Amino acid sequence: MTMLEHAYLIALIPLAASFLILFGGKEDPHSPLPFVGIAAIGWCLVESLGILYAAISGAALPYAQDWSWFSFGMTAANRPFVYDMPIGVLIDGPAVFMLVVVTLVSFLVQIYSLSYMHGDARFKRYYAYLSFFTASMLGLVVSSNLLVTFCCWELVGFSSYILIGFWFERSEPAYAAKKAFLTTKLGDLGLYLALLFIFVLVGSFQIPQIAQFVSRGYMSTAAATLIALGILCGAAGKSAQAPLFIWLPDAMEGPTPVSALIHAATMVAAGVYLVARCYFIFTAAPIAMETVAWLGALTAFLAATMAIVCTDIKRVLAFSTVSQLGFMMCALGAWGLTAGLFHLTTHAAFKALLFLCAGSVIHAVHTNDMRQMGGLSKKMPLTFLTTFIGTCAISGIPLLSGWYSKDMILERVYEHDPRLFIILAITATLTAFYMFRLLFLTFLGTERDKDKHAHAHESPWPMTVPLVVLALLSIFAGALLDHHHLFESLVTGPVSPEIPHPAPPWLGWSVTAAVAASIVAAAKLYGGPHFETAQRLKAAWAPLFHLLDRRYYLDDIFLGLVDLGDRAARLAFWIDSEVIDAIFVDGWGAVARLAAKLSHLFDDLCIDRTVDGTGGLSVTVGGALRSLVARGLAQEYLMYAAVGMSVLAALTWFR
Amino acid sequence: MTLTHHLLLGAALFLIGVFGALTRRNIIGILMSIELMFNAANINLAAFNHFLHPEGVLGMTTALFIITVAAAEVVVGLALVLAIYRNCESVYAEDFNLLKG
Amino acid sequence: MIEAIAFYTFAAVTLIGAFGVVTLRNTIYSALCLGLCLAGVAGIFANLGADFLFASQLLIYVGGIAILIVFAVMLLGRTSDLHLKQVNEQWAAAFLIGAVTWVGLWRAAKIFSHTPLPIPEAAKTTRAIGLLMMGDLAVPFEAISLVLLAALLGAVFFSRKENP
Repeated sequence: MTMLEHAYLIALIPLAASFLILFGGKEDPHSPLPFVGIAAIGWCLVESLGILYAAISGAALPYAQDWSWFSFGMTAANRPFVYDMPIGVLIDGPAVFMLVVVTLVSFLVQIYSLSYMHGDARFKRYYAYLSFFTASMLGLVVSSNLLVTFCCWELVGFSSYILIGFWFERSEPAYAAKKAFLTTKLGDLGLYLALLFIFVLVGSFQIPQIAQFVSRGYMSTAAATLIALGILCGAAGKSAQAPLFIWLPDAMEGPTPVSALIHAATMVAAGVYLVARCYFIFTAAPIAMETVAWLGALTAFLAATMAIVCTDIKRVLAFSTVSQLGFMMCALGAWGLTAGLFHLTTHAAFKALLFLCAGSVIHAVHTNDMRQMGGLSKKMPLTFLTTFIGTCAISGIPLLSGWYSKDMILERVYEHDPRLFIILAITATLTAFYMFRLLFLTFLGTERDKDKHAHAHESPWPMTVPLVVLALLSIFAGALLDHHHLFESLVTGPVSPEIPHPAPPWLGWSVTAAVAASIVAAAKLYGGPHFETAQRLKAAWAPLFHLLDRRYYLDDIFLGLVDLGDRAARLAFWIDSEVIDAIFVDGWGAVARLAAKLSHLFDDLCIDRTVDGTGGLSVTVGGALRSLVARGLAQEYLMYAAVGMSVLAALTWFR
Repeated sequence: MTLTHHLLLGAALFLIGVFGALTRRNIIGILMSIELMFNAANINLAAFNHFLHPEGVLGMTTALFIITVAAAEVVVGLALVLAIYRNCESVYAEDFNLLKG
Repeated sequence: MIEAIAFYTFAAVTLIGAFGVVTLRNTIYSALCLGLCLAGVAGIFANLGADFLFASQLLIYVGGIAILIVFAVMLLGRTSDLHLKQVNEQWAAAFLIGAVTWVGLWRAAKIFSHTPLPIPEAAKTTRAIGLLMMGDLAVPFEAISLVLLAALLGAVFFSRKENP
């Protein structure tokens, strides 16, 4: 219980560590400050494991604790009141496993980075960023307030931006960082609207309160669908679902440990986790559930096909991540919360392993291109062994961790909709194929680049120790978590209202058989020293290969959309400047000038002439009269008065 | 004798005064003509009092006021004439044309 | 009858004097004619039964103003003036105006031609005038005394030497 009560520390410790690293000490490639970060995340790992232990040994979950954050006055239904916004932690089953996953992967990645990033000019800053990234993700995991979750969500996006673009001196990472940031922002827009909608409807950001609101049936299906689709929008951006996965392959420009972190724990897991966190909204909206399932399946399939033709080792892994995330999403959409999160947990282990292995290889040969590798198994036996374990795990070789989770997903999906199952089964087969293709191309066969091969060497211990740890986890995590249905007991999802298609017992084994067949095919195609068959296939199916190589032209479509927007803006600008301005501004100006000129002429010719004429006439007449009558003679003036008098007198004649 | 006779006498005296004021070149002559006009008015007032309101004396009293004003006017007028004469060495009205526009 | 004779006599004296005032070339003669004219007017007053007015006319006009004017004429008079024309060039126009106005006034005066003669009653008006001045016309009386004072001061101011 002690561990649970201090759960908030798990998010705050790495945050403090990141600031300490960032602002403490000078920038120095050999700075000791990174060990602060490792210690902090190690502490968090211990705490997380403590929480996991508490959960296993029967602590009451979910555990919620709230503090007052801020208050503001507002008016609702014409009644003013003070609204208190709480901030707090909510630890439930998924959160427990996410905490362990995030802290563990982050811990191993940080140890690994000691060697991988050794000597980098911004070594210290790198660790500050890593800690910040981890802190953001942990905050997202533990927060019970969706507003805080959203803040952390955006911080995760920001952290990924600065880490993907860590080597910003080169243009590709800078571009990739920008692309990742903007693409995920596109999805965040939907999430933001969903949050606003939630607050308007429920009047709270607290997850338990929202869950209560939904469970009592206050939320209409239409509203739930809208909100769920908005959340899905955000999740699709973060978790790289179709069509927003375009940023993930480019994100490979970042340091490889960062890729491992992003792919295994921190970034892409956030989307899946958020969907799981808000699962009660999704279950209230059947349409949204179906959308999640089909989007996941589609993503899984598309990504797997693209991975087949990829030659960049990290991009293959990136596509495989997208594909596996599709699996998770599909499972979530098919009422398989447990299966989806189980796969998220196991996937974290073997995907982190695979990325770190790739990092090890890249560290050794200084290239990402698999065509320049080959035959590295003799030079790097430990890396080869761990990669082999990871590949087997992701492919679903029985008794390894991936097999348990994938089996659970496939079973769940078959029960939901066999069509989805077929897609996922094909994808699983493809997964095994491209993963073994990667294995064969990298480690087996002949060395295609003698020079690079000669310089290759096994990595130092800070890199290999995490590999070994992760490899062991990849082997045993599934079995451990499945033992006595441990995971299922902790992460309980809602049960599907009906099971239209009960899964046959041979289901899992049939997929395993297909996987085995695809492994054989991969060995056939890429196992030998030459790839005649593969080349022939590639030549025969050239258009298809090209389509896959261009990633279904999604990048081009997005760029085209942007370009279209650009053109539209240009057109609008042209219309504004050339038409609207010309007609309504300049035109009116000209008309007004003309009118003003006319008015001026009229004023000059008529009004002023009249005025001047009247005045001039007065002056003339007055001058004439003056010279005539005003001679300064008093008697003359008197005469005028007398004339007036005589005229008055003359009036009497007429009466 | 009727009121008409007196009024005609006053009118004749007044018109003679007007004629004099219009035609005399000498300022003192003009002043004297103005006195004639005052007296014409006084004759009228006394006659009206006598013929129309014999029981009262208001007309005569007004005539007395006019006599007083006339005396004051003559005094000031003559003083002005003296001052002008001292400055201009002339007593002829047409020489004083400072008001000429 | 006696009144008619007196009226015509005094009227003749008045008009002759007035005519002399405006026509005589010598200003001193004009001033003397003015005295004659004013005396005639005084006679008219007496004929109208205005005894106090008659006395005032004689005292103020004939005895005061006329004499004052004679003095002034003597102060300002120059011998060369006797050879100058004393009437300006607008005498014809003035005569015309006078004639026209005379006709108008004559027509107006004719309204009263049938006024019945009042009963001639020899009453002393002095007491009544005094009571009126001290009663209803007290304010104009005081005002006119101020006017006289102002005239006195003005006369002194204008006639003194510029730079004493």
